[in-house]
Amino acid sequence: MRLTSHIQEGMLNLFSSKLRSVLALLGVLVGTASVVAMVSGGELATNEAIKQFKTLGTDLLAVTISDAADEEHKLSSGVQESLTLLQAQQIISADKQIRDVAPYTQLYNPVQYNGHDMNASVMGVTDSFARIVHIELEKGRFISALDGYQFFCVIGHSLYEQIKQRSFSDPLGQQIQVGKNIFTIIGVAKPWPENSFVYAVIDSAVMIPVLSSTVLSKYATLNNIILRLTPNADIDQVKNHVTDYMNQHLANKRLFVRSAKELIVRMTKQSQILTVFLGLIGSISLIVGGIGVMNIMLVSVVERRREIGIRLAVGACSRDIRSLFLVEAIMLSLVGGTLGVIIGIIIAYIIALFQSWQFMLFLLPPLIGFTVSVATGIFFGFYPAYKASQLDPIQALRSE
Amino acid sequence: MSLLVNMQNITKIYRSGDSEFCALKGIDFYLEHGQMVAIVGASGSGKSTLMNILGFLDHGTSGHYFFDNEDVSHLQSEALAQIRNRKIGFVFQSFFLLPRLNVLQNVMLPLFYRGDETEYAKEKSLKFLAKVGMETFAKHKPNQLSGGQQQRVAIARALVGDPDIILADEPTGSLDSKTGQEVMDLFLNLHQQEKRTIVIVTHDAGVSKQCQRVVLLKDGKIVK
Repeated sequence: MRLTSHIQEGMLNLFSSKLRSVLALLGVLVGTASVVAMVSGGELATNEAIKQFKTLGTDLLAVTISDAADEEHKLSSGVQESLTLLQAQQIISADKQIRDVAPYTQLYNPVQYNGHDMNASVMGVTDSFARIVHIELEKGRFISALDGYQFFCVIGHSLYEQIKQRSFSDPLGQQIQVGKNIFTIIGVAKPWPENSFVYAVIDSAVMIPVLSSTVLSKYATLNNIILRLTPNADIDQVKNHVTDYMNQHLANKRLFVRSAKELIVRMTKQSQILTVFLGLIGSISLIVGGIGVMNIMLVSVVERRREIGIRLAVGACSRDIRSLFLVEAIMLSLVGGTLGVIIGIIIAYIIALFQSWQFMLFLLPPLIGFTVSVATGIFFGFYPAYKASQLDPIQALRSE
Repeated sequence: MSLLVNMQNITKIYRSGDSEFCALKGIDFYLEHGQMVAIVGASGSGKSTLMNILGFLDHGTSGHYFFDNEDVSHLQSEALAQIRNRKIGFVFQSFFLLPRLNVLQNVMLPLFYRGDETEYAKEKSLKFLAKVGMETFAKHKPNQLSGGQQQRVAIARALVGDPDIILADEPTGSLDSKTGQEVMDLFLNLHQQEKRTIVIVTHDAGVSKQCQRVVLLKDGKIVK
């Protein structure tokens, strides 16, 4: 078949001028590799960002209560300034889709151990807190409902490391000073991956029973509640019910409700925009690569003028000449594109390695990279092929 | 007997910017089947132009060209290419073999452009290589051959498509006298044994003497 012969001839011609062929496909290779590497990199980054939210679970809702700045969003039917613990825990009745509730307080009292100042924050939590945000213990136990107003605490892992540097004995069971009060350490938490969904750095926190925190400071208000919902819950419905519930009790307050799912969607969208942008930049280098192919094909056409003349004399029509050069350009792009995809994936892998990201093989970037590279070959190879086909046989035969 | 080639009042004018050059001035040229003709003339006489028009590499500015009783005067490049492929076999002074293809592939080239099957083309090409005595060199590259050997391959290539006319442009111009004569012997053989129509463009009197008929060109006009 004609096409097979063209391909065979094309391969013959490309192999016999190896250096030039390599130079031509280098442009496409680099361009394709950039597109694939950048888009894959973008996807990996997105993946990584979302992962931390996914490990917590997507069915989380975070409610924050703050002072109302304007009339528009104010809760005003209620009477209190802040929720009681019971009221906070009863929020579970506001909507059937709420499975678990963890209200918490945040304090900023100074923390000291053995007279040394510690870099730590203080959180008043309930037993459900560890459950909902997946805190695991390395030693001891977590706060329990029975702890009531007791001065027990669980320390985060970085705080644990800090303490170990100052003392020889195991912190578990030892005493730590929070503000003017002495707490006993009953538990040490394992390292907790930081997550902006929870407004706290648990690794450097001293977690005390929520009721105890109210004793510690009059500023200890239950301004934060984390809710775990049933899977695929209707988030808007829950938000409405929670707002209604809050409205029954609170006055002059404003509610912020964040859902993990919405956060993930928003982050994904942002990352996707970034990825598209990166892809466009990569495409610029692919265009440059295509121009390179075109240049080299043009040089090839000029150099092979006599050959074209001979072919024309021997019976080729202009379409045959055009096909000859077009096939060569496409083959160059195919090889360049394939190698580019492979190298692009390798680069993405290296990026993931250096950033300690999880590496995943995406199908879309290589597919895009490959298709675009072949299209580049066809597009940029067409003009030289056309020029070649328009040569006058007599002039061509006369060329040196 | 009908004429194979009947050119009437052919004029060729080359235009370059404002200047004009008239290469052929209303010549009448005819060719019968099975003739061996030498077209002779000094450089600038128009013999190359006549050969180009004869071989469908170009067409005249005015006049008529009847090939096998068909008016081919106004064919455009696509149609010219088709006729060229089927009817004309070229032999050039510089042999013009494609350097990257081997001898066999070079001979197969015209058949490839006709769309013939590869196996069939191979067989046919080997046959014609044998005819010129070059079949053992089938896998060689042109740069491994001497001038005379290359020209013989070129002749095989010209013959492989079974053309009506073999058109040779100074075929012995790059060869020494002995090899040149070997090539001429080949042409004479083709003419006498196979009754091929052969046109040789040359300025070498020794070549033209061996041809059945001589046409002399001077300043774009046929003198004899």
